[in-house]
Amino acid sequence: MKLFIQRATVLGSLVLSLTACAGQQTTPESGGELNNAEAPSLAVGAIPDQDPEKIQRLSDKLTAYLESELEVSVEYRPVTDYAAAVTAFKVGDLDLVWFGGLTGVQARLQVEGAEAIAQRDIDEQFTSVFIANVNSGLQPFTDISGLKALKNKTLTFGSESSTSGRLMPQYFMQKTGLTLDDVKGKVGFSGNHDATIKLVEAGTFEVGALNSQVWDSRLEEGAVDQSKVSVVWRTSPYYDYHWVVSPAVEERYGAGFTQKLQTALTGLDASVPAEKELLELFGAAKFIPTENQNYAQIEEIGRQIGKIK
Amino acid sequence: MSSSHAAITKLFAWPSWVNRRSFWVVMVWVAISTSLYTASATGTALINWNGLGQFGEFWLASLNPDLSPEFLAIIGRATLVTFAYAVCGTTLSVGLGFIGGVLAAETWWRTVFPPSAKGSWLGPLMWRWVRVLLAFPRAIHELIWGLFFLSILGLDPVVAVVAIAIPFSAIVAKVFSEILDETPQEPLNALLNSGAAPATAWLYGLLPQALPNLLSYASYRFECSLRSAAVLGVIGAGGLGYEILLSLQSLRYSQLWTGFYALILLNGTVDLWSAWMRRRLGFTSRLDLHTPAEVRKKSNALNPALHRSQDWLLRLSWGLIALVTPLCYWRLNIGWERLWSPRTHRLLADILTASRPVWPTLEGFQALLHLSGLTLAMSILAMALAGLGGILLSFPAAQTFLLPAGCLSIGGTKGAVRARSLFWGSRWILLVSRAIPAPIWALVFLFVLFPGVWPGALALAIHNLGILGRLMAEVNENLDERPVRSLQALGASPGQIILYSVLPQNLGRFLTYIFYRWEVCIRETVMVGLVGAAGLGRLLTEQLSSFDYSGLAITLGCFILLTLCVDWVSQQIRKTQAEF
Repeated sequence: MKLFIQRATVLGSLVLSLTACAGQQTTPESGGELNNAEAPSLAVGAIPDQDPEKIQRLSDKLTAYLESELEVSVEYRPVTDYAAAVTAFKVGDLDLVWFGGLTGVQARLQVEGAEAIAQRDIDEQFTSVFIANVNSGLQPFTDISGLKALKNKTLTFGSESSTSGRLMPQYFMQKTGLTLDDVKGKVGFSGNHDATIKLVEAGTFEVGALNSQVWDSRLEEGAVDQSKVSVVWRTSPYYDYHWVVSPAVEERYGAGFTQKLQTALTGLDASVPAEKELLELFGAAKFIPTENQNYAQIEEIGRQIGKIK
Repeated sequence: MSSSHAAITKLFAWPSWVNRRSFWVVMVWVAISTSLYTASATGTALINWNGLGQFGEFWLASLNPDLSPEFLAIIGRATLVTFAYAVCGTTLSVGLGFIGGVLAAETWWRTVFPPSAKGSWLGPLMWRWVRVLLAFPRAIHELIWGLFFLSILGLDPVVAVVAIAIPFSAIVAKVFSEILDETPQEPLNALLNSGAAPATAWLYGLLPQALPNLLSYASYRFECSLRSAAVLGVIGAGGLGYEILLSLQSLRYSQLWTGFYALILLNGTVDLWSAWMRRRLGFTSRLDLHTPAEVRKKSNALNPALHRSQDWLLRLSWGLIALVTPLCYWRLNIGWERLWSPRTHRLLADILTASRPVWPTLEGFQALLHLSGLTLAMSILAMALAGLGGILLSFPAAQTFLLPAGCLSIGGTKGAVRARSLFWGSRWILLVSRAIPAPIWALVFLFVLFPGVWPGALALAIHNLGILGRLMAEVNENLDERPVRSLQALGASPGQIILYSVLPQNLGRFLTYIFYRWEVCIRETVMVGLVGAAGLGRLLTEQLSSFDYSGLAITLGCFILLTLCVDWVSQQIRKTQAEF
């Protein structure tokens, strides 16, 4: 009997909380052919590449900011898988997405007329770092040819679609004539930049390649054991993360909406406290305009490496 | 002397050591040793002692989960979302699986095309055809189904629900059909012979007897759906999987553990509740594969006295189920209209055109063969370890063994305390192992192992150990106790009792579960291949992220072939067991 009361209470509270949640929920609206509603929301998504536990805060702030600037309803839609975000953009369920360099190109190639509109100040001069475990015997070097020392070492990248954690490091390796078959065993894919640091720190892999922004901030936090792992080389700069917008928004909200979006994003002002917080969540001092042409190199490398078919 | 010798020979009734059974025993050992060889062939060290610090860091965080109110609110909401997906996925897959199960049952086709009637050859043909057809949805992991549906249905809860429902209905159909075929056929035949129509004969002669087993299995499916719903969170479904992935991205261990505890709580509650329901209904096994007839009679006969007295409690439970299920559908706000919208048609046509396979060159074919071999080796090692560990843990985790009044109970108050702690300890280990998703286990093992087949194999082993151990503990609980009691009365030691009365009864069912789970394990290698850098899973993830649909079609074809092989092997082995 006692058992039953316990169970009933659990179930009862479950029902209640479900009802409560359902009450709070906002109806997801999606654009395109599916919805006949008068003005569907602008669907915004982001690939959370670092510190994503802040995503809740970021999405609330971003939605509020864009709604006030653009005077349309905005909805943040969570996706964490790179391929899923590109696909959702392709089918038209995401209108504005914060992509990485490679995923942005992949997405634009699948949607004719899509445009890269804004990036962070740091994305213009983005870099990757190669880090090595002390036991690997690798010494820091300054010239790209130093990468040849990676031959017969074990190596891990981050996510397989990552620009800074895979594409560009692989490109720089190829420039010195080093292919993925030259490293010891198979190249690993740790899944994310932080896992790369931990796995190289642990010594599971001798070398790792990752986003230098993540590396620098982990160093600052003191989260890295520098007696075990250190940087051996910092790459030369390339273009990375950016906002990509679908041409569908012009149809839906009128001509010039893309321009309006770009102005809103680049208009984020660090001297306004609320906007400063949003910029900080993105790890940026400000957003600057960008254009498709900036990612031509990424596209070329993507094709070379086989990430773009 | 000679007469007792004759009696023993008769008892074993083995005409020769060369038979199907010994053939399969040898094959299993060959498979395990080949896999061991493959996994260790890289020539590098296996254990990375330097990673113990990172390994410990992960476990230390379990004592210190993030319990801040904001984060708990996020996790609480996510838990409900995952629960809702699991409810929708289960109800759909049980419904569809029931229909599929009838169509995949040999009995059904024999009923429709009786052996004596004209065109009787059509029955077996149709049956085989349906069985092969069911292997396709099963061979592909939920996550891959999810990405496929995402690319034709777009971002909507319907994606995750359908992604769970499709492979799960195929699994449910397979198991249901086996339950139906193993249900005693006499009442059905009696009705058919007296001239009842096939449908009526089924309704009155077969389904009522199979129903308890069907319901038990449905409740087990719900636990599986919970785990899948958590995995699908990453492709836009939200819920616990999404939150866990976010925390994993920046390795916030304390947040990760909050998510794990939520998963443990959810899995544990569902486990307790469904066990309670089944006990109240008078049947106790959740997945009834290959049960000896007497045991089945004992465990699944509805006890009328118990049934009546608990009737209102049960009714309330059924009422709650009836209330919560529509609530979950409503909460998720599933966009069913997407399933038949013109856009879906267009996108489906696009993806089918793009995924026309380009046949691999000889070199590519060899590479595929090699990767398939690694995947197979990984799954065999995982299942061998999970099976062994599951069997060992299933004894302390069974309610009827060590606990007071159990058949192996240790006397005295001290013994009872020890038994209780062993019972809860082993249950807790099983719960934690199955609640934490396999990719997380893979990353954790990667801290202390060098990359290769092993981290993935161990991750799958631990995850499946939790599932198998729980199923096996239930087999132990449903054991026919008479042989145990008589050996005990004769003064046998606990070890002797297990060896001579428990294992002879249960080993067959243990093996059946292991082979059943092996098939699931093949699919799950997709989730861990990446971190461990081994097998088809890694190739698949690379192709997914390059949108290389034609390559993807070939890789998925390999998975389907592997699943068909595994299905065939388990069927052969089960047949061999049934002969003895």
